[in-house]
Amino acid sequence: MTTSNLAPVKSTVARTAGRNGAPPKRGRIRGRFAPYLFAAPAVVLYVVFMLIPVLYAIWLSLRAYRLQSGGTFGRRVEVFVGLENYTAVLSDPELLASFGRMAVYGIIAVPLTLGLALLFALLLDVPAVRAKRFSRTAIFIPYAVPGVVAALMWGFMYLPSTSPFSYISEQMGFGTIPFLEGNALFGSLANIAIWGGVGFNMIIIYTSLRGIPAELYEAARLDGANEFQIALRVKVPLVGPAIVLTTVFALIGTLQLYGEPMTLKPMTNDISQTWAPLMTIYRDAFLTDNLPAAAASSTLLALGTVALSLIILGIVNRKKFGERA
Amino acid sequence: MRSRRLIAAGAILALTGGLTACSAESRGGSDGPVTLTFWGWGVGYEDVIAEWNEANPDIQVEHTDAGGGDDSSAKLLTAARAGNAPDVALVEYTTLPAMIVADVPLDITEYVGDAEDAFTEGTWDQTRFDGAVYAIPQDVGPMALTYRQDRLEEMGLAVPTTWEEFGEVARGVKANDPNSVLTSLPPSELGFYAGVAAQAGSEWWSLEDGVWTVGIADEASLEVADFFEGLVKEGAISTEPLLTPEYNAKLNDGTMLSWPAGIWASGVFYGVAPDTAGNWAMAPLPQWTPGDAKVAYQGGSGMIVTKESEHPEEAAEFAKWFNASEDGNELLLSSRQVYPASIVGQEMAASSEPPALMPQQTTFYEEAAAISAETIPVTWGPNVNLAKMVFEDRLNKAIADGTPWRDAFIATQEAVVDDMKTSGYEVSND
Repeated sequence: MTTSNLAPVKSTVARTAGRNGAPPKRGRIRGRFAPYLFAAPAVVLYVVFMLIPVLYAIWLSLRAYRLQSGGTFGRRVEVFVGLENYTAVLSDPELLASFGRMAVYGIIAVPLTLGLALLFALLLDVPAVRAKRFSRTAIFIPYAVPGVVAALMWGFMYLPSTSPFSYISEQMGFGTIPFLEGNALFGSLANIAIWGGVGFNMIIIYTSLRGIPAELYEAARLDGANEFQIALRVKVPLVGPAIVLTTVFALIGTLQLYGEPMTLKPMTNDISQTWAPLMTIYRDAFLTDNLPAAAASSTLLALGTVALSLIILGIVNRKKFGERA
Repeated sequence: MRSRRLIAAGAILALTGGLTACSAESRGGSDGPVTLTFWGWGVGYEDVIAEWNEANPDIQVEHTDAGGGDDSSAKLLTAARAGNAPDVALVEYTTLPAMIVADVPLDITEYVGDAEDAFTEGTWDQTRFDGAVYAIPQDVGPMALTYRQDRLEEMGLAVPTTWEEFGEVARGVKANDPNSVLTSLPPSELGFYAGVAAQAGSEWWSLEDGVWTVGIADEASLEVADFFEGLVKEGAISTEPLLTPEYNAKLNDGTMLSWPAGIWASGVFYGVAPDTAGNWAMAPLPQWTPGDAKVAYQGGSGMIVTKESEHPEEAAEFAKWFNASEDGNELLLSSRQVYPASIVGQEMAASSEPPALMPQQTTFYEEAAAISAETIPVTWGPNVNLAKMVFEDRLNKAIADGTPWRDAFIATQEAVVDDMKTSGYEVSND
């Protein structure tokens, strides 16, 4: 918005100034300041709520609470320790293991969420489909359910004595289903994210589908393509940017995995305090009073997120250029 | 042109105006009645605060529930560092040393020294360190066994008095009804394991001449680990998490038969299974040595005055009235529904009605007083929270992988010792 508005404003200023016979210098100065003025709110918000906290976190990550004598126990005071926190964090096998668990979760959750979202979007876009508005809303509604509520609700459906699924399997003589134990945990957690995320991603892809000009379908039909071929050969490539966008969102969402395991944690012994990286950060920051270590892990996680996003965008861009060439 | 300038000026004004408005608000007037902010969890504060505020128009108290013990202490640390801690806060005995080390509570010896006589020495020592008092005890949780009287009787099983018998009763329950289980003792309950280890003579933290010794993996504790590992491995007791929808369903249908924990367990159970009231009873905690009567505290909390409080004297006054006076203790019993830490409160309790979960056990509070008289003094270290986290994760992993429990105890001790050494404490462990 800022950039598009600037050009006309500037020219008006110059023109008015010239016509009134006022020194053109004044107008130019004003014109020079205008962009900064318009950009100011965004810049101020960015600096106050983004840049300063980030720098503060980095500063904190170089410090630690150390004992100083005084009183019975002594007092812990903040001192500068350089990169000590980073070495401690990087040599913690539990943190690495938590990244592994997050990766397994991501490998299950991301493709299934995007695959289902794309499938539903394509199905809804088929002209013959009825009750479109209803289906769209029905698929989207889980996204409107707050994450914690969703996790709690699924938690009830997973626990043996409250689970309808376990009830059915027990009636059939198979015993209860151990949703929250061992490796099944990954699927159970991913399921909550998929259930909540498909609707949102579907809407993005569906909106992108609606923006494709109808002439293209007509041309494809004249060429003898059926609905399935149109979907695969015309629609999917054209909603590519939307799929890239949702993939990046889903990956970042995976790196922020926290709500579901944290909510289910009290229900099972198999989710440890350090199950996901963000849970470790929370534990360090607020439960074991080691804010500097939490700051160090956060910095590393943020760097990892940026790197991963850049890699994905890089791959996508290279592919695009490759196609063009 | 003019209008653009106006807009710009307006925008700047709006921005700076917002900032000044904020800072003006936070600077309260110093004259007039003093307002104290107070953080505490649990029930029944409305009555307490209302009564105090009516009697003390010059010292008004505002109560906030900042979450249970763990959450509240985490927030308190953060708030104190950020410079906006409340004047008064409830803190668990287990986290009080961590708070002192982080410089949160004020040394209130000069304000509350006269309240010392209201408490037994063992209780006062939970909040007094090296002669300095950092909190006024509010409630205590001497350990006891809360159990399903009707189901044990129906199975013909006697209430266990030793842990050996406890194991036999657990097996008996399984033999009578495979769907029922005597108890669940999950790794999240560090307080339980620390308590029974203290019963066995272990000191998880001790401080002598400025040097700490950590005993989480001493011989007594490891034997405790072996004992409960044995019961869990043979399937006599479980380690499922407490108070989940699953666990609560078992409480309600009478298949979870006991909870060895602080005496407050009856209140917790009544909250989730009120329909089972009358089927429960409380008995002294089983012992390692037959004939012993010693138990540890599990849970319990005291009220601190924070270093940041601008009115420490008034804050201490409020804490003293709440926890050491007769009026305050009446409210602790009737509204807060906790087992008071003070002598006067415990005497009052002896003549009051039993908890709602066991209305038939009319001697409940007399028995509680007898248990409370035999508590073991326990020293908590400056990093109990870390111990709790590591213990829970390691023991859960040991149970899942089928590895020895004692390894989890040893790993916890190592982590605790490492953390203390990194922080700069002198620790006698290798």
